[in-house]
Amino acid sequence: MNPITVNRRHYEDLALGEVVDLGHVMVSKEMIIAFASEFDPFPFHLDEAAAKASLLGGLAASGWQTAGLSLRMLTDSFLNTIASMGGLGFSDLKWRKPVMVGDTIGGTVTIAALRRSKHHPERGIVTLDFDIRNQKSEPVMSMRLANLVELRGPSIPLTEAAE
Amino acid sequence: MTRWFEDIVIDEAFPLGSHTFSADEIIRFGMLYDPQYFHVDQEAAKHSHFGSLVASGWHTVSVGHRKMVDALFAEEERLRALGQEPGVSGPSPGVNKMDFKAPVRPGDTVAYTLTVTGKRPSNSIPGWGLLFNRLDAINQHGELVYHAELVGFSKLRDYEMPLRMRLLMALTKIPGLGKLLQPSR
Repeated sequence: MNPITVNRRHYEDLALGEVVDLGHVMVSKEMIIAFASEFDPFPFHLDEAAAKASLLGGLAASGWQTAGLSLRMLTDSFLNTIASMGGLGFSDLKWRKPVMVGDTIGGTVTIAALRRSKHHPERGIVTLDFDIRNQKSEPVMSMRLANLVELRGPSIPLTEAAE
Repeated sequence: MTRWFEDIVIDEAFPLGSHTFSADEIIRFGMLYDPQYFHVDQEAAKHSHFGSLVASGWHTVSVGHRKMVDALFAEEERLRALGQEPGVSGPSPGVNKMDFKAPVRPGDTVAYTLTVTGKRPSNSIPGWGLLFNRLDAINQHGELVYHAELVGFSKLRDYEMPLRMRLLMALTKIPGLGKLLQPSR
């Protein structure tokens, strides 16, 4: 029994189609420059003049920061309320529109699939579809994340608990 | 890579160097972007199936991205030193696939390698091409930490904008008139 996650929702408690409201976060110039300085020091993420001349048209957050902030919102509103065992990976990540200084991003995550792990009976895999939008409701990022979740009753036969 | 689209060779591998992850930086990244107990709390992490603190996958990926940016800048320097004009890299439209394979624990050293696996001119942005890149991250035991299929923009050297598009670009710079001509997104 894992004392950290025992009272959280487990795999069996999740429902296909469940929608998680992520809330929102304002992206400041300081946040953009701090992230870019460490992980993405292209001039269009660090310098306003260089950013204006680039394809982005102004100072914009690193796409990886948009992803990180989206994940942070998911952790606060969902992953830390379930028996999460960490991410397996993601697919189809699309940066649809740059996140500019002062933009507020937020959105929803929908449970798109639930399945048992074939090799580890105590684990399930939840597939999460992200729809991240700015304050004008324009889509800025979408992706599909696969995350491991503990089962409360790993002895349930695979076929019964599978989707 | 910071080469002109035309100069990029398919399947050429670029070693991007390595990074050793400390517990402090794993926790610092986790607190900001992924505060799950196994990314931020050394004691609590012992109860997880990892058995110890591990880096957020998004942390190892962000470091991999930094390594790629550093390699682009280094390539730019190298080309300038040879008296050649470097190409221009643009922002990325997305990531097709990212698989987290092995966890990164404090003290682990991860080596990154980038390979361009394909390229084609962009359909939506004239003068730019799309690069399809593979990024592999391997730890000090030779285990695959993650595997990514990334997409990036690279500028075409031999592109000449058609006359009518150049005229349109010039017209959009006229105050007042420009707004009316901007294509809606």
